[in-house]
Amino acid sequence: MGERGGTAYPSMSLSWMTLLVVVAIGVFSLVSLYLGFQAYGSDNPEHASYYIIIGTAGFAAMGYMFFRTKAISTTRLKVPKVDVVTTLECPKCGLKRIREFKRGDYVFKDDEPCTRCDGQMVILRIHRREDEKAKR
Amino acid sequence: MLLSVGQLIPPNSDIGMILQALFSISFIIYLFYAQRIQSMTMLRQVEVTLRKVKAIRDEGRRVSIQTVREVGKPEGDPTPDVERFMEHFFIQPVDLDPAGIVGKLGQLLNVRENTFEAEVRAMAPSASESEANNLENLLEASQALNIYYKVIRHFYLLGKKTMNLYIIMQIHMILPMLMREIEAYSAALQAFREGMPIGDGVGSLTAARLMRGHPWKEVAKDMVAAEVMMKGRTLLVTKAKGPGGNVGKPGDAVENLLNERKGKVKAIIMIDAAGKLEGEPTGGVAEGVGAAIGGIGVEKYKIEGAAKAHDVPLYAVVIKEDISNVVAPMVEPLFDATERAMESVGRLVDEWTEEGDTVIVAGIGNTVGIGQ
Repeated sequence: MGERGGTAYPSMSLSWMTLLVVVAIGVFSLVSLYLGFQAYGSDNPEHASYYIIIGTAGFAAMGYMFFRTKAISTTRLKVPKVDVVTTLECPKCGLKRIREFKRGDYVFKDDEPCTRCDGQMVILRIHRREDEKAKR
Repeated sequence: MLLSVGQLIPPNSDIGMILQALFSISFIIYLFYAQRIQSMTMLRQVEVTLRKVKAIRDEGRRVSIQTVREVGKPEGDPTPDVERFMEHFFIQPVDLDPAGIVGKLGQLLNVRENTFEAEVRAMAPSASESEANNLENLLEASQALNIYYKVIRHFYLLGKKTMNLYIIMQIHMILPMLMREIEAYSAALQAFREGMPIGDGVGSLTAARLMRGHPWKEVAKDMVAAEVMMKGRTLLVTKAKGPGGNVGKPGDAVENLLNERKGKVKAIIMIDAAGKLEGEPTGGVAEGVGAAIGGIGVEKYKIEGAAKAHDVPLYAVVIKEDISNVVAPMVEPLFDATERAMESVGRLVDEWTEEGDTVIVAGIGNTVGIGQ
């Protein structure tokens, strides 16, 4: 957490030091794996497993560090907005119309004139549009 | 575990010895620093959440300022006023001697309400009554988000400063529940900004559907009521005055209606939204007994007191919803549930009253986006 203008804010960027450590671990792990595969064909095959353990452990640590960093840096910070629809009905002819919600709409408001007769359409329902993904 | 892994590698070679030493060191480090490692992991998780909460809080602030500008058309920059509003606080009355605390609480809430109304009116001089009510609700949502952010930040910084596991654990354990509430408030920003019906308004909506087409009058501050005939009974249906964001004073409305009818009321039926348990469907309708109303308790106290004074039974119809639905734009199952809630009212009226009786039906909840 850093301080900015007297208020504390969380700071999340990956520091150069961490990046250097990650790169160093990566190089070390690569070398270990290389030595491990080399050792299989050499006079000391038992050393191969040691090198491979070190190499894979290094890559696992690197993967964990990247995973943690990615989880933070790609966290969606946008506040989601939902689709809301307004259902209008003409009390005279029964014509129904569904449209996007507009500011000023409210349930039981006498809204726009009916397109089929000379009646006035009334807002009967305002609700969220059902999420297609959730339906599936 | 590290030791057992270490034992798998025989120290009969140089590299084996190095590995053995590494495993032993790791074990010793873990022995002494396990709690610190755990604290750091938890702090990291709190930090990620805090960042998200900050983004939501900032969005609340931004939306509030933008809406004040759009709706209220103030002459100057409303930012300092909005920021001041977001820092507003409420001190609960002393409860060492609880006698009369509800009256004191009610008085303080009235002062708070009047202060908020005056603040919003000053901030947004061009806003209509409904718009001002919505704006007030929007600012209250932003205020709540600000408090959530500051409390989580407080525990995060305190935990980081002291590295005390128990301080960090306190906030870490309740984070999932807090996030549900915070996400609910973030959805409220859109609803109050645009004036959309919210999940909490489902009781109000049921009452609005019952009283639709009937002449209504104001029976208390921000409360309307209409006389509706159902199955030979007279229903006095009351709800908060819409379509602006408003919960009204249902306690005063019920009290006034009872006094107006000199207590000649056979039953009081309250309709409200209720929190559902995991596994229950959204929009499920249940019937029960008692005053179905949330909040601090002042209105509930008034209703229970009035019902007791006139010896009128209290029945409740609740519509179940998740916390994520309460202040978010209303979902379709809740809208459909109002039909079943009306059927429940009809059944209660049928069962517990006779033709010619009078029944009070109170639709409780925020009436944003709902007329009458």
